[in-house]
Amino acid sequence: MFAFAGKKLIQLIVTTIGVVTLVFFTLRLIPGDAASAMAGDTLSGEALERLRDQMGLNEPLMSQYLTYWRKLLVLDFGETITTGLSAGELMRAAAPITISIALATIVVTVLLAIPLGTLAAFLAHKGKKGLDSLITGAAMVLDLMPSFWTGLFFLLFFSLTLGLFPASGTVSLENPGHFLQRIALPVMVLSVTQVATMARITRTAVLEVLSEDYIRTARSLGWSELRVLFRHALKNAALPIVTVVGLSFGSLLNGTVIVEFIFNIPGIGSLLVNGINSRDYQMVQNLIIVYALIFVTINFVTDLVYRKIDPRVSF
Amino acid sequence: MTATRRDFLSGVLASTAASALSAGTARTASAQASTLRVRFYDDPAGFDPSNIFRIENENIAFNIFSGLTTYDSTSGKIVPDLAESWENKSNKVWSFKLRRGVKWQKNYGEFTSADVVYTYNRIVDPKTSSPYAAEFGNVESVEAPDPYTVVFTLKTPDGNFLHQVANYHQGQIVNKKAIEDAGDRVRWNPVGTGPYYLDFIDVNSRIILKRHADYFRGPAPIETLYFQIIKDESTATIALRNGEIDLIMRSNREENLDILAKAGFTLNKVDNYAALVRVVNPATNRALADVRVRHALAHAIDWEAVCKATGAQLQAPAHSLLLPWMDAYSPNVPRYEFDQARARKLLADAGAARGLVVRQLGTAAQGVTEIQQFEIDFLSQVGVTMRMELVDTPTFNQRRNRAEFELSSRLLPAVNPDTILFSYLHPSNAAPRGLNGARYDNPKVTSLLESARAEVDPAARKAMYVELQKIALTDMFYQPLYTSNVVWPGKKNVVGVRINYLAQVNFHEVSFA
Repeated sequence: MFAFAGKKLIQLIVTTIGVVTLVFFTLRLIPGDAASAMAGDTLSGEALERLRDQMGLNEPLMSQYLTYWRKLLVLDFGETITTGLSAGELMRAAAPITISIALATIVVTVLLAIPLGTLAAFLAHKGKKGLDSLITGAAMVLDLMPSFWTGLFFLLFFSLTLGLFPASGTVSLENPGHFLQRIALPVMVLSVTQVATMARITRTAVLEVLSEDYIRTARSLGWSELRVLFRHALKNAALPIVTVVGLSFGSLLNGTVIVEFIFNIPGIGSLLVNGINSRDYQMVQNLIIVYALIFVTINFVTDLVYRKIDPRVSF
Repeated sequence: MTATRRDFLSGVLASTAASALSAGTARTASAQASTLRVRFYDDPAGFDPSNIFRIENENIAFNIFSGLTTYDSTSGKIVPDLAESWENKSNKVWSFKLRRGVKWQKNYGEFTSADVVYTYNRIVDPKTSSPYAAEFGNVESVEAPDPYTVVFTLKTPDGNFLHQVANYHQGQIVNKKAIEDAGDRVRWNPVGTGPYYLDFIDVNSRIILKRHADYFRGPAPIETLYFQIIKDESTATIALRNGEIDLIMRSNREENLDILAKAGFTLNKVDNYAALVRVVNPATNRALADVRVRHALAHAIDWEAVCKATGAQLQAPAHSLLLPWMDAYSPNVPRYEFDQARARKLLADAGAARGLVVRQLGTAAQGVTEIQQFEIDFLSQVGVTMRMELVDTPTFNQRRNRAEFELSSRLLPAVNPDTILFSYLHPSNAAPRGLNGARYDNPKVTSLLESARAEVDPAARKAMYVELQKIALTDMFYQPLYTSNVVWPGKKNVVGVRINYLAQVNFHEVSFA
């Protein structure tokens, strides 16, 4: 296990160096910079150059690169170019919000999608096509709904019509009740697509297992259908489901960008989009590292879970 | 970022004391211990006047700071602010008499002429790297003969100098000690003499301004301004309808305005805030060097119909580089009515009878807008194919500043006509040095611009502006397309929301009915 963790750590370091270097130089190859993004219609020429000076954009590229690494090695994420605020502080404030939304979505998804997918597989196995088709069809429709559309629909219905959730307001972990109220709609929107995807994967995986000999054997022992389904069939179909859960967490981090915009949530997705739009190199570089770390961690955890579920799995 | 406990307590004490002292006056009788919740549409970028950008940030700064002069919210005319009065000799020596007893926010003492001198020296100091330093490039010296007098001596006469010292960008007066105390966090610790002070800011979610109890025009009616960051316009509309906010800072979608109007909300509005102009760059497309082609482009599009179809509440056709409310505006300039037969003939005369391809630079963020779709269609009817080049916003700004486009557009908000005309038409501003992306250089226009700026007699100055506009609108390297309106929808009980011609609201005038 230690060898495995060590190998993963080396992969993480190499990945991070590669990602930082790639992002650092490609960002600067793109035309336009933070100064021109900020100045918009109003500045040009000498005035724009003054702004560049102030932002440190006229420093030699290699000097900027080495400065960035020197700071990063002591976990100093520097200051954002456009606001002058500590990038580390901004990320520390934003990350828990996005991670909470992603985790809550995963929990809701697992709680809904696995029973639904298993049920659909069971119905299909028993030849009850009607209800299976209904669940599968609904999953496909939900899967295809873009989150910006679902988001607006949920806002209109749950916030404006029913008045259940606010459309705006602060999002702070210091007030858990209000926090949950504010993230409820984003979680619901993200869950729609995730439930649909995971229910379909679960159905396929469980359906495949239900035809196996050991399931027939379990039934012949007189065990209840529920026990056979959830204790034996689902457990043996778990590998692809765990893979999807791991991948979902990654895709959710990306997916939150849109819902954070619609629901006015100040998470890391919002920081990233703002950073890219304003060419805030410092912020984008930092966030890419954070994303890379999260993805590598997810993969690491997923690998560990694989091993727990199926001891035959080796790395 | 967060106000200190001392700031908070002193703010509370000051406001309590002020309320008690002024009890019984008409002003405080209407003072309301209340909170106005306002939608703020983007991430705040800081409020240091030497480096401030974007209208939403300027709106905050406008209420924190004061200038020597300011703009009347309704007429757009220059009116006194920190200066009670002024006089000038030949537009070259400007002497300002300052108000007495003006208090800085957060207990920074009394405002004097030394603050004015410090502000202007700070702007032009290379260490500040202010992009607005050039605005004072014509200032030879600033002197404070006594604590309530400031004298500016200019290198060359400037009849529009009162705009340079208005409550906007470089004109906003700062306090030396407050700047030094803030260290490298100046933009997040603004201290001014305006009606509100910054109490708290979380750049991810909200900005809270509190009433400056000692404001020289009396305390504002509303105690707290709570700016909630809501970027998505539909979400802002729902938040207003839900009662989560009282006022939307700028709404740009016609359908949302319709919904809110039907639901009984007030659409606070200023018309003709700024004109969008098409910038024609003949250096990148030879056909555009022919004046007949430029005239044909102007005749080919029915702007009345386009504006009506895409948002009659948000824009109107423009026929001038200046806005109708400006002193220097004149309707007696060349107009290009919708006339496609004439456009075709002009193109044929220019040798483009078989068609012409032009490229319009745009932003991927906006995409091909509804208006541009109409433009493309109208132009195709006269044989002009307009191809859109969509790039991301920073690239768009960079290419536009370097004149790397055939056709582009620019909307320059300004109250000073000289700012608009000089920026577009004077060769010293030719790209990449300035905003003259067409690299327009007509000696007659240049001479008129310089003479108008120096002219003492307002009538004579206006006559020069009109004359140079006639020439520029004949040359048509800058083609007026449409003027934009700014709308702030709000609840019926929020009154006094008057949007000035810089799209700013003076919250000292806003109250609950």
